[in-house]
Amino acid sequence: AARITSSLSRLTLFTPPSYVCLTPHSRSYYTPKDPNYKYFRPNFAFKRKHYNPKFKKDRWLKVTKVELPEIDTKDDVDKMTPDEIRAKMKEKGIQPTRPWQEKPIVISSTAGTFEPYVPPEGDGKLSTTSKAGAKQKFQFLEKKGKSMMAIRKIRQYDEDFDPKDFAEEAQKIYIDTHKALADFDKVRLHQTVTERAYPIVTHQAHRSTIRWHFLGSLEPPRVVHARCTDVITTDNIFAQITVRFHTKQILAVYDRFGRLQHGSEVVARDVLEYVVFEKHIANTYGIWRIHDKIIPDWMPPRQPTLKTYKIEEIKEEEEATPSDKESKDGVAAELEKPSISVAHA
Amino acid sequence: GLRVLKSNTFQPISGLATRGYLASIAGQPGGQSTGVLAAHGEPNRCGLHTSSALCWERPTGPRKFLTHNQTVFPPTPFGEQPRPAFVCHMKKNIKYSPSKMWYVACLVRGLRIDDAINQLKFVHKKGSVAARETLEEAKELAVKEHNVEFASNLWVSESFVGKGMIIRGYRRHARRRFGKVEYKYCHYFVTLEEGDPPEHYYPFRRPRTPQELLEEWMEEQRRRTIIKSL
Repeated sequence: AARITSSLSRLTLFTPPSYVCLTPHSRSYYTPKDPNYKYFRPNFAFKRKHYNPKFKKDRWLKVTKVELPEIDTKDDVDKMTPDEIRAKMKEKGIQPTRPWQEKPIVISSTAGTFEPYVPPEGDGKLSTTSKAGAKQKFQFLEKKGKSMMAIRKIRQYDEDFDPKDFAEEAQKIYIDTHKALADFDKVRLHQTVTERAYPIVTHQAHRSTIRWHFLGSLEPPRVVHARCTDVITTDNIFAQITVRFHTKQILAVYDRFGRLQHGSEVVARDVLEYVVFEKHIANTYGIWRIHDKIIPDWMPPRQPTLKTYKIEEIKEEEEATPSDKESKDGVAAELEKPSISVAHA
Repeated sequence: GLRVLKSNTFQPISGLATRGYLASIAGQPGGQSTGVLAAHGEPNRCGLHTSSALCWERPTGPRKFLTHNQTVFPPTPFGEQPRPAFVCHMKKNIKYSPSKMWYVACLVRGLRIDDAINQLKFVHKKGSVAARETLEEAKELAVKEHNVEFASNLWVSESFVGKGMIIRGYRRHARRRFGKVEYKYCHYFVTLEEGDPPEHYYPFRRPRTPQELLEEWMEEQRRRTIIKSL
């Protein structure tokens, strides 16, 4: 009836009485009830809401409320502090678990390099056979230096220790590590690399293909530094020896899709590195493994990557680590890649 | 009820069950000994699990899609076209009906990433917000982890919806009648590929060239026959 009157009103000059409100039918927008009118004809064309708001609450009561679970994907448990996690668990009524398991802790590697070696500037730039190079030769392992004392300590536990033989052994371990990394053989990697260095060495190695070839050493490997530290007890001694390698290598890194990301398979580069090897000498079954690499400040930067990238702004807080500086794949963060930068004259 | 509560915990649980509350307890007896002072560098890492550490909670929800992000392809041989990069991303448990989300997913297929995000800004649907977030996250991931050089050089190659859990409720009607109410969840999956999108995403939808039309007409004409004739 209301519709008929409205259509009639459109056709003729018939106007309804002033106390009745004839709003235009609209499907797209809602026209609220005008309080100035006593009889307000509802808009049946607007289907998104019920035309009579008088019984809204009753209609709402008909539906049984069900508590929907909060599946907050934004809730990253890794980033929450223990207090926040405790609060959340209380909210949800979850009891905290009691760690009944008691597992033995085995300390098999230290957390860093003790008294790291500071390589002298200009190392590797001049050939030792030239006059200037000969002048530059440094006293390696003076008779009464700390390194000599450390080596004596190592000889206490391991009688047949000789730095020269060790340097050769170290090179073998170095080559083994790189080959294992290229094959991504975890078992061999664990045998040649300490636990502290393992995550750094294998950073993003599982999603790239690495091809590495060792062409030869330009200078024989040399032990340049040695230190001994003890962890917790004075008997628990770890020995750290820094070995200097000057070698020729080929490195090519391909990303997940087989595209060349870094280096080249054809061009060889000269690599000067100072690698720290560690052994738990107090342990009879301790083995020499790669622990750390020393990158001096004067070392020229690495070969630039083949693709361009944006440098993210470093936040003022200390959260930003060096790897955040480049928003690219963490090629810069990989420690064990040879620093393909020193171009030998 | 309780299962729903447990589903709030994130997956995977099994990895966390071995790590207690403290970051330092990482020992494993025998075999390869682990360094305690390991360089993980996450001071506030905590394991959160609802059930006891001994029982393993079965992971729920979609898990296989993201494994595509871990496949490593061999280096392309010399002379062949380089393989375009792709990244798979998903958003789980969006409180939206999958059938309604389907419309949003269909809109975005075959568009460039920037166009897709801009279009979703003006879609008046609840699911468009979730879809937009997924696309933006996927774009960032592509640059950070999958060696994509230019973030805008991506296009949406796959965009589809999966059914999530359904929580059932009920409501009463007039005259002692009841109706069921379903609260639906969905998962949204997206694959971004590097490069230019194809001209026609659906090959059957592309307009036919004049030559193709002519051939089709010719074939139709040739197919005509007078039945039961010699």
